[in-house]
Amino acid sequence: MNAKSLAASGQILPRDTGAAPLDIVIAIMSFLAALALGASLIADRAAESWRAGLAGRITVQILPPAKGAPDPALTTETAAAVSVLEATPGILHVLPVSDQEARQLVEPWLGTGALISDLPLPRLIDATIASGTQLDIAALAQKLKTAAPDSMLDDHSRWISRLKGLADAVIWSAYGILALIAIATASAVAFATRAGLDAHHDIVALLHQMGAQSGFIARAFEWHYFRAALLAAAIGAALAGGIFLAASGLEFAGIEPAPFLPPLALHTGELAWLVAVPAGAGFIAWATARLSVLAALRRIY
Amino acid sequence: MLRFENVGMRFGPGPEILRDVTFSLEAGSFSFLTGPSGAGKTTLLKLMYVAGPPSRGLITLFGHDLSTTKRNAFPAIRRRIGVVFQDFRLLAHLSTFDNVALPLRLAGHREQDYAHDVKELLNWVGLGDRLQAKPATLSGGEQQRVAIARAVVARPDLLLADEPTGNVDAEIGQRLIRLFGELNRLGTTVLIATHDRSLIERTKAREMRLVDGRLVELGAQRT
Repeated sequence: MNAKSLAASGQILPRDTGAAPLDIVIAIMSFLAALALGASLIADRAAESWRAGLAGRITVQILPPAKGAPDPALTTETAAAVSVLEATPGILHVLPVSDQEARQLVEPWLGTGALISDLPLPRLIDATIASGTQLDIAALAQKLKTAAPDSMLDDHSRWISRLKGLADAVIWSAYGILALIAIATASAVAFATRAGLDAHHDIVALLHQMGAQSGFIARAFEWHYFRAALLAAAIGAALAGGIFLAASGLEFAGIEPAPFLPPLALHTGELAWLVAVPAGAGFIAWATARLSVLAALRRIY
Repeated sequence: MLRFENVGMRFGPGPEILRDVTFSLEAGSFSFLTGPSGAGKTTLLKLMYVAGPPSRGLITLFGHDLSTTKRNAFPAIRRRIGVVFQDFRLLAHLSTFDNVALPLRLAGHREQDYAHDVKELLNWVGLGDRLQAKPATLSGGEQQRVAIARAVVARPDLLLADEPTGNVDAEIGQRLIRLFGELNRLGTTVLIATHDRSLIERTKAREMRLVDGRLVELGAQRT
């Protein structure tokens, strides 16, 4: 065993130097980091799914009169709007939404009572745009207004933009949490390394006196903390992975753990990203320990 | 080999522990450093094994003026010095064998190359049957012998020993001094700090005595 592998082997420092409180802190930090990372992946997937669901579609509303029974003109205007849409190049399908379907759309919010049957619901027309087509939305809206004065064209761009903003906020918040966790982990490891240096000052001083290079002494500490952080972070990330798997199990069983939120389960490929948490924690511990030890050794003659 | 010129040492604002210390050790010499407790022997040894800089004066070691030598050259200089510490400073979690082999490992040697030498040396100091023993299971005298074996195993150019026979019986003490003598004959410069007058009289080597931080030469260099 040469000097480099001796330092990395863990034989230079006693095996019992693993500071249990630090291991617990790193495990908790890694658990939170894995949750934040998982949340960012879910938000990214949900935003993409929402965008894909709404992109390439437009909706036309024909507004009913404010009072009284729907004007027979509503039916006429709906037919006129359908004609305009069908005559527009680039529109693949035009599907008027029936009254029954429109009421089903608002049922989750308003229920099925008498109120809903009295509500003046707009007529909806759903249209699909051919892939790659650039529709002139303003010109189409103008044509529709001419044919059906009570029509309103919605290309969902405002809604997609809001969803994207929400998803971005979640993703960047998760990144911010990850950064804070990384800083906190680095600080904890730096503190533990300094405590380790103090606790093993006699060993460090002896090795220094025997002519060990600073890099050799640093290696003994950096590998010690790398191994400890890797193990603790793996436990933390595995716990977080267990929570995502449990959410997946609930969804598989048809139980919605968080209504109105996207599915909280991670796909297999996304679960693999959680491996990055122990790897990152190990690297942070390794680098922090190395820098801390080298800085401390610079203060020795 | 080693030269001190007007070296003074003080800690903080306190009085000088060493005052105008001037001497030199020739390569291959064998010397004793004596003096009452608190005279500054350990401080002088620390300066010799490059544990810290003096408050004033000039130290030249292996041809390097230590005041101008770059920090990154110190490890290589220190590896040429074997030190027997008064308090042994063995690594408690390592076996006798691993403690003794540590300087060789730090120098980059491989176990298969030095295992035989380490075992032979431990046999010489009477610990051939305690290779895997941890320091805590050894007596004070045995720990001292491990510390001596560690100091000499890499055949240093300069061997500094602080009371190396203080915890061993007369027979083992004789044996250890013979070991230092053997090493000295092979070219190692040896300096032993001791209170043991019989040891000094038996070897008839040069004696440097520290009195109140000042160095007094008492005996001629052995020829």
